[in-house]
Amino acid sequence: MPVPPGLVVAPQLPDLLRPAKVRHGVLGFLRNNPTVALGGALLICLVLVGIFAPYLGTVDPTALAPAKRTRAPSADFWFGTDLLGRDIYSRVLYGARVSLTVGLSVALLASLAGLAIGLISGFVRLADSIVMRFMDGLMSIPPILLAVALMALTRGSVGNVIMAITIAEIPRVTRLVRGVVLSLREQPYVDAAIASGTRTPMIILRHILPNTLAPMLVQATYVCASAMIVESILSFIGAGTPPTIPSWGNIMAEGRALWQIKPYIVFFPAAFLSVTVLAVNLVGDGLRDAFDPRMAKSL
Amino acid sequence: MVSYILRRVLATIPVMAIVALLVFSLLYIAPGDPAAVIAGDQASPADVERIRQSLGLDRPFLVQFGAWLWNILHGDLGTSIFTNLPVASLIAQRIEPTLSLMALTLVLTILVAVPLGVVAAWKAGSFVDRAIMAFAVLAFSLPVFVIGYLLAYVFALELEWLPVQGYTPFAEGFWPWLQNLILPAVALGGVYIALIARITRASMLEVLQQDYIRTAHAKGLEQRSILFVHALKNAAVPIVTVIGIGVALLIGGAVVTESVFAIPGLGRLTVDAILRRDYPVIQGIVLMFSFLYTLVNLMVDVTYTLVDPRIRY
Amino acid sequence: MDRRTLLKGLAGAGSLAASGGLSMPALSQGAAARTLRFVPQADLANFDPIWGTQYVVRNAAAMVWDTLYGFDATLQPQRQMVEAEEVSADGLTWTFRLRPGLKFHDGEPVRSKDVVASLTRWSARDAMGLMLKAIQNELTAVDDRTFKWVLKQPYPKMLLALGKNSTPCAFIMPERIAQTDPFKQINEYVGSGPMKFARSEWVPGARSVFEKFTDYVPRQEKASWLAGGKQMLVDRVEWVVIPDPATAAGALQNGEIDWWENPLPDLVPVLRKNRNISVDIADPLGNVGSFRMNHLHPPFNDVRARRAVLTALSQEDYMRALVGDDTSLWKPLPGFFTPNTPLYTEEGGEILKGKRDFAAAKKLLAESGYTNQPVSCIVAQDQPITKAQGDVTADLLKRMGMNVDFVATDWGTVGSRRAQKSPAGQGGWEMFHTWHAGADCINPAVYIAIRANGDRAWFGWPTSPAVEKEVTAWFEAKNLDEEKAAVRRLNKAALEDVIFAPTGFFLSYTAWRKNVSGIAKGPLPFFWGVSKTA
Repeated sequence: MPVPPGLVVAPQLPDLLRPAKVRHGVLGFLRNNPTVALGGALLICLVLVGIFAPYLGTVDPTALAPAKRTRAPSADFWFGTDLLGRDIYSRVLYGARVSLTVGLSVALLASLAGLAIGLISGFVRLADSIVMRFMDGLMSIPPILLAVALMALTRGSVGNVIMAITIAEIPRVTRLVRGVVLSLREQPYVDAAIASGTRTPMIILRHILPNTLAPMLVQATYVCASAMIVESILSFIGAGTPPTIPSWGNIMAEGRALWQIKPYIVFFPAAFLSVTVLAVNLVGDGLRDAFDPRMAKSL
Repeated sequence: MVSYILRRVLATIPVMAIVALLVFSLLYIAPGDPAAVIAGDQASPADVERIRQSLGLDRPFLVQFGAWLWNILHGDLGTSIFTNLPVASLIAQRIEPTLSLMALTLVLTILVAVPLGVVAAWKAGSFVDRAIMAFAVLAFSLPVFVIGYLLAYVFALELEWLPVQGYTPFAEGFWPWLQNLILPAVALGGVYIALIARITRASMLEVLQQDYIRTAHAKGLEQRSILFVHALKNAAVPIVTVIGIGVALLIGGAVVTESVFAIPGLGRLTVDAILRRDYPVIQGIVLMFSFLYTLVNLMVDVTYTLVDPRIRY
Repeated sequence: MDRRTLLKGLAGAGSLAASGGLSMPALSQGAAARTLRFVPQADLANFDPIWGTQYVVRNAAAMVWDTLYGFDATLQPQRQMVEAEEVSADGLTWTFRLRPGLKFHDGEPVRSKDVVASLTRWSARDAMGLMLKAIQNELTAVDDRTFKWVLKQPYPKMLLALGKNSTPCAFIMPERIAQTDPFKQINEYVGSGPMKFARSEWVPGARSVFEKFTDYVPRQEKASWLAGGKQMLVDRVEWVVIPDPATAAGALQNGEIDWWENPLPDLVPVLRKNRNISVDIADPLGNVGSFRMNHLHPPFNDVRARRAVLTALSQEDYMRALVGDDTSLWKPLPGFFTPNTPLYTEEGGEILKGKRDFAAAKKLLAESGYTNQPVSCIVAQDQPITKAQGDVTADLLKRMGMNVDFVATDWGTVGSRRAQKSPAGQGGWEMFHTWHAGADCINPAVYIAIRANGDRAWFGWPTSPAVEKEVTAWFEAKNLDEEKAAVRRLNKAALEDVIFAPTGFFLSYTAWRKNVSGIAKGPLPFFWGVSKTA
């Protein structure tokens, strides 16, 4: 382009700073946050393993063969057999279903319940002190005891385990939601909304909920991880899922007496459990860092 | 401050009342009759009924609850159905091991986790930071009993440095007491260390970006003094919070650790009592745990004032 | 010196210095040799052997309390506290005379009135005792060392009742303690046995301590089970509860405990390899595994359904699940009585022998009118024996085509639920698992589980006039041959009516460190005659 006379043109400076690549969309998000990507990928793999367990070279996980008990891993039994001759590989793969179901259900139910209670507690001052005292009380009952008591109530089942762990995790979520609500209530825009006559449900929907979603999501992942570990501990004590439904917890519990001489019975479910919990934690950490690194102080 | 503490202590009473009612109701509706277990295999239904009556288990719910509450207010936690010993003495026998384990775990955890978190924050983004965080997540992902077994195998059976199981009362010497508790404390503390290290790192990261830290650098203060004296104090509030919350985690983990290492503590006592339906023991322990927990919360709140002078009650 | 001892020594020195030289109860080598540390099969949560009938209570009680008679290794009752006895010609009056020099732990001599009170309390809870009570005329003390029991009918099995080792045993307690209501716990543990109970050191659930009673006068004869001279060769016995089997194995290997009552069969090879540990069969009388079906409600109220289960049942599966791959530890049991005892018989046991026939089982099941209703099977998860059996049963019923409702719960719940006579839908049950010590299956007198008198029978409430007829015949038998004949007929009838399903006979091991000697095989661990070198 011809330069008009008298006009000074800025010199061409070398491009020192490379332009920042702005990444969009889900894939962009994942590339920006490798921890979430890694954790998420692992988690999806495990969920798929659980779903497609019947097609991955497994046999009936409850088929006993006491004559072939505690065999070491071999070509026939990839992870060996347990104390009743059942194939550990099959049990571990089917066990993914139970452990993941427990983890995800507890996370979902505890979040929903905690959200509801936290909102009420945050908004209705009268309810606040009562609810918080109740939550304090609930938090001081160790979840293990709650679960054992519930199991003794009817029988060992996946439902009871989920219920027991959920009840124990609700106070955590409630506190979180309540904290968010309390701090948001002081914000000017909320004040303005109230002053202009917006009804409470709208306030919740428009202002409160969007702000709670991020921390709740992160908290939910930690709840999920914790629930899976608690499930294994419950099976260890004997208050977990019944033996006809394999879960990583009860495979480990059954094999624990022999772990010195036949470590494979405990090793494989432990490895799977650790990897799953790790994956969930990575997702949680990644999401937390992506949304707001300052959340790390409280979660 | 004193009035604050007093008010908080008073506030624990309704909490414990709620806990008491919850637990009592749960046990009441749970099936499983201690009288049947006691009566044994040879007993006839008439025998079982006689035992129930002698234990007062046939009275209506409110009467039983009222009677128990009345006794509590007089300082009487009741008598164990199975051992016929006062619940208070059963708890007294078993409280030292559990408290020792929890205290040692707490001390160990803080001594290890806080410095780890501080170093991770200081070297944020480096290999050290990633390694520490990876270790933290790993420790968080393994169940307590797996860690416990591994430790017992390596340190007790193979290397023979420490005993496999048991508990030695403090009165019999500091080192024997410590010896028995090291492995369980490390096993139990694993999860806790991970949690606290992460929170410490996060909190420190935020503090380290503050202006006054830069000023301290400019003043020429030594790195260590900056980290541990200036930064940590300011970062302490969330850390102390998590320590408080973690006590509940510890109580749960203690049950497993006590089973694996055969420590005669409250965790095992509770699980045994639940499986046998020894109601007075269960109620007494849960009540005590809740009192302990609220006490810990109170101490956490008081610690806030020590750490952050801006917090006043 | 190995590293542990060195570290301990250094630590000891260190802490001694630290505590300013304050005295520490460091056990010298000599003192350590006089303490035996034992891991029992279960926790000693309470200590009244008449009120609580668990085996572990009886095992501990055998140290603290003495009995009038005691079984020896041939299963015959021998005199223990009794010096002489006499039966009147009509068999109605039994007169007993106590040994001289018997003392209680509180220093008081053992008198007849103590015996009378103790027997009164015992007979209110024991099956044979109740039989005696029913025909009792009077039970009185004649003088301080003589007492008599006058009956309305003869009872030839009197000595067996007084000397048997099945619970509750006829332990002799001081009168004041024995006067406690038999349905309430005693809270004083004073006896006349060779060990005293160290009440102040008892931590229920963790530890129980017994100390030698120096004034105990043992009999002259050699000790044999509960008979003969009970010589204590150690000063102190500590029962240490270790709930986790792997930890107990480690503790035995490390020398932290001396004797483990019930090592897990799978861990025995590891223990055997250790050159400081000996392993042997604990009790030649072993155990009988079983599960019981509810005779009151469908489907098992029909004998064909019960026989179908027996037809398909594989005792090998159950036994392998219970005790593992060591075939010396189990035997099939085509009957109900303990192998290697006088009354053992396999009569009528064909249904449990040979190849398992699922086709025939399914056919029998169909004939009984089973229409796929759920069969609720309550299984205690906290008892390894019932847990293993429960898993095998679930698999068995599934392969028979039955609809299994597996209720995983704990022993406490099983204990109360099995007492419910209502149908399964209303809180009842169709099947539960248990096991019996072999010592409790040697004859119909001690064998509660074999009785078939309907409502008054054990849980499951079987009714079989044929079985009851033979039980009476056994009680009335005048010699061993008649007894054997009665039991053979009993066995056959019991299998035809399927009183319960025996899953097999299994033994268990016991393990101890090589510096401990004198451990005898028997139905309970015997602490007399056991000594320890440093």
